[in-house]
Amino acid sequence: MADQAIAKADARSTAQGRFIHFVNVIGIYFAALLFVLLGFALQAAGVITNFASAQNFLNIVDNVAMLGIVAVGMSFVTYSGSMADMSVPTTMALSGIVAVQFLKVGFWPAIAAAFAVGLVIGLVNAVVVGRFKANPIIWTLAINYVCMGIIRVVWVNKQIYPDMIASTKDVSQAFDAIYRLEVVKGLGGNPLASLRLPLVMMVAIVIIGQIVLSRTSFGAQLKLTGSARKAAKFTGVNVELITGAAFIVAAITATLGGLTVTSLSRVGAYYNGAGYDFRAVTAIVIGGMSLSGGRGSIIGVLGGVLIIGLINNIMTLIGIPTLSQDMIRGAIFITVVGINAKSLRSLGRDDA
Amino acid sequence: MKKAASIVAFVAMAGICACGAFGQALSAQQKANLEASLKVDTSVLKSADNQSLIVLSSQKKVIPARPADPDALAETDPLHWYDMEYAGWNAKKVNIPQSPADGAIGKKIILIVHGDHPWTTACTLGAMKVAQACSIKLKVLSPNWDLAVQNQMIDQAINEKPDAICLIPLDAKAAVQQARKINDAGIPLFLFNTLTQADAMNYCVAWTGPDDFGQQRKLARVWADEMQKRNPGAKELDVAYVQHAPGGSPYFARCWGPMSELSGYAKTVKTVAKEAPGFDADKATQVVSDWLTRFGPGLKGIFAADDSAQAIGIFEAFKKAGRTDIVVCAAGNSKQGMDLVKEGKLFAITYQTAEGDGALTIKTAADWFNGKAIEPVRYLPQKIITKANVDSFYPPQW
Amino acid sequence: MTTHKKLDRSGALSWVDHNRIYLIFVVALLVMTAFAPKFFNVFNLTTISKTAAMNACVAIGFTIVMICGHLDLSIGTVITLAGVVGLGLKKYVGYEISVPLALCSGALVGLVNGLLVTKVKISSFIVTLGTMTILQGLIYQITGGNSIALSTPDAFSVADFLGHRLIPLVTPRVLITLVLVLLFQFLLSSTRWGRNFYMVGGNKSTAWLGGIEADRQIVVAFVLSGLLAATGGVFFAMESSAATRNMGDNSLMYVLSATIIGGTAMSGGKGGVFRSFVAILALEIIYDGIILFGLGNEVKIFLAGFILAVVVLYEAYASYRHDRVVGQRSELLAELSAAGRGNRSTDAASSRG
Repeated sequence: MADQAIAKADARSTAQGRFIHFVNVIGIYFAALLFVLLGFALQAAGVITNFASAQNFLNIVDNVAMLGIVAVGMSFVTYSGSMADMSVPTTMALSGIVAVQFLKVGFWPAIAAAFAVGLVIGLVNAVVVGRFKANPIIWTLAINYVCMGIIRVVWVNKQIYPDMIASTKDVSQAFDAIYRLEVVKGLGGNPLASLRLPLVMMVAIVIIGQIVLSRTSFGAQLKLTGSARKAAKFTGVNVELITGAAFIVAAITATLGGLTVTSLSRVGAYYNGAGYDFRAVTAIVIGGMSLSGGRGSIIGVLGGVLIIGLINNIMTLIGIPTLSQDMIRGAIFITVVGINAKSLRSLGRDDA
Repeated sequence: MKKAASIVAFVAMAGICACGAFGQALSAQQKANLEASLKVDTSVLKSADNQSLIVLSSQKKVIPARPADPDALAETDPLHWYDMEYAGWNAKKVNIPQSPADGAIGKKIILIVHGDHPWTTACTLGAMKVAQACSIKLKVLSPNWDLAVQNQMIDQAINEKPDAICLIPLDAKAAVQQARKINDAGIPLFLFNTLTQADAMNYCVAWTGPDDFGQQRKLARVWADEMQKRNPGAKELDVAYVQHAPGGSPYFARCWGPMSELSGYAKTVKTVAKEAPGFDADKATQVVSDWLTRFGPGLKGIFAADDSAQAIGIFEAFKKAGRTDIVVCAAGNSKQGMDLVKEGKLFAITYQTAEGDGALTIKTAADWFNGKAIEPVRYLPQKIITKANVDSFYPPQW
Repeated sequence: MTTHKKLDRSGALSWVDHNRIYLIFVVALLVMTAFAPKFFNVFNLTTISKTAAMNACVAIGFTIVMICGHLDLSIGTVITLAGVVGLGLKKYVGYEISVPLALCSGALVGLVNGLLVTKVKISSFIVTLGTMTILQGLIYQITGGNSIALSTPDAFSVADFLGHRLIPLVTPRVLITLVLVLLFQFLLSSTRWGRNFYMVGGNKSTAWLGGIEADRQIVVAFVLSGLLAATGGVFFAMESSAATRNMGDNSLMYVLSATIIGGTAMSGGKGGVFRSFVAILALEIIYDGIILFGLGNEVKIFLAGFILAVVVLYEAYASYRHDRVVGQRSELLAELSAAGRGNRSTDAASSRG
């Protein structure tokens, strides 16, 4: 009985397993659909207005684009069994402020500098957690602290402004455009409906991430490392490398997210990116990815991000105060995790 | 024996005369100190934005009588906020030390701010400019938004026995015990910037800072006038408030200040929403774009507590929805806010001089050392910045 | 409880490693006394102990949870909750009832955490993340965003009492913390019940074999964590006569750093309450010195992060080195290589590990 349960758990091997996996992923979108229906119901009841409009749905997706970018990257870390990458907020802030500082030289040097910083942080995390097997939560919290210290020591209490530092006006406009560039304008004839760069980036990253995770051998190795680490080792998977590589992926998306957030707020500061670690973890967990690793998918994470966007939207349309919204989000988070944990237990996996 | 006694008497008398002379010398030096100190002219000092650093507000604030129970009044009644807005004017001062009136030169002041932020950097700069002009030794401590650390710094400051302490309390209510501790130690206390609970004012020499309520009321009128101008004849103008961090005095002053002002001044203005998304541009974008979905063309105005991150978020949401008709005013004044005013997006912001805030508290302390009478409350100048005059406020202080 | 020596090192080095937190404490104290202006006087040292008292109390519970191999991220919000409940209700029922209520609310949060971790089997990271978020919202509901402050004379007298110096360096609030630290250190090191925490964290299946109900110990650990966080919070609020909305926010990183620097590890089964206490004192000495030097907060933040990172890195590296040699029996290896030097190749030996 237990053997069968374990065989079922490997979604790649049997048709039945693939179907269950499919249902799991659909499950998240089913939940998202439920929220959409809730929104419709509330609108019909007169509690909220204008929920069911194309513009509103576009807004919802647009507003969670940055969270989506960061969450997809962090989900690689989760999928490989390292729980979460808590260094994301200061990675975002540091790469953003470095980019602004390097605008003095030019736009592309600034982008390169930002990615250099992000990669260094990712590499450090990769070595310490991958090779030396430090506890990922504790280590990434420590790195978060160190990077915050670096920002504070180098820039003391200053904020730096892109338009004041940039070498030419074109450079500063290019930086501004990271958040604001309209890649596709005038969808369906509506001049206001346009897809901006963050949203396009998120879609691209989701697609790439999903392909990597489900169809490449790298993805397979990640899954094995996350779900059965010792087995992975004995089948020849370089567990240390895989674990480390996941952190590098997370750092890359954090850098992208950091550039976008910094572009939005038009200032290089230590507080850009604050809160993204918890929000990303929430999205990942709601999206069905188990925190112990090896279970879930990128499409699922996208579903989780969309659910968060829907919840935020509905709560603001109702008029619930922001801090009460936090409480509701926390409750939903625990409930989803609890349900997830119970269903995993029935499959024989004890740890969610 | 007699000879010895007379020698002793002589030496004693010489000693007393010498002491007397020495005492006179000290007091003469103190007098010289005082004269030199009084000669210092701080009115020529300028802040980074080329405005005068120290300008005492020329308008006298009209203090109405305190209603018997302000809490019982409606939130939209200006007098509901009496204790907060007029804190300090009705203070019953307790045990305030006497000024030594020997000039400010060489005095030591410890300045404790609330946390690290570019605003605070500018504030400290203003304080240092005045301290330098008055030859005051200034030490600055920042607790980085942590109440336990601020308490620790107050303890350490008391231990160093400075001639005065200038403090921005982190929390309006916790300020009471903090002020009391300093008062018990006999050190003159000058509170500034953040309005505190009324009781805290009993323990300080004076409070200086922006008249947040007054400024925002003034801004509200400008805001209402413009909304009425853009929507002539409208029976109802729906507005929304983007609030400050809950709990502090700006949270109340920048939301209920305008709200209660307009309930009398412009009765067509109706509040339909208020939210506190923090100082996060992307959260503000989400909240405002959802408001636009919810209220559509009926939304005529937004009042923001912050003209930097919140204002940026507001205008991103506007751009996405293609709305350019909404009148937005905010409490200022950061670089991003002034840029938005210059672009014609933000209609008006208030001038909140960070340097002036720090400068005024040191100046007040210096005046106290010079023996002048100090009013219990001193306000910073109130100015409304619009596109017409924004250029005179560049370069921005922070 | 002496920790199992993991490192294959000479006696002196391993003594240094084992007692590093005490060495760090002494070094910090000496450096600050020598170089920081006006450091070594009764007043300043009392300030240090007063500032450290709240986090030291919280660290007791956090350490116990970590010894069990779990993490409690909700301590910051429990501190705030206890302060808000303790002070907010004082107006209606007085401190005699509001303080025990505050402590109970902390214990209740701990109970919820513990049950979710053991019965529903969700990882403690997730559970306490969730309770932290929910508590933040709950605190907002209670306070409406305002802080709570008391300005009545009896409130001040309690505050003054808690803060006045009994004997040099010790105020009543510090005394409460000291007593709790020593009590729990004694319980954990010298009683069977206390040592069970180490067993649960060190090796759960062996603990089960030894007849320990791991689930119950873990729940108790979380309850203690909530209770002690509430204790630290409510007494701090009483001494400030105020409870702000975010008074506990900085405590999490502070307590986590101190616990790890003090020698407790996430892998569970090692560490100690007294060590965490000494770590908090050492950190507080360093921070106090930084203020006295007149250095800015950026130095403090950088140092705090750097010290934590170094300690975590060191522990990880040490564990890595240990893993490389685990299972290798040095006597066998020596035998084989001696034989190999004679007539057999060393291939057999090198094929191990």
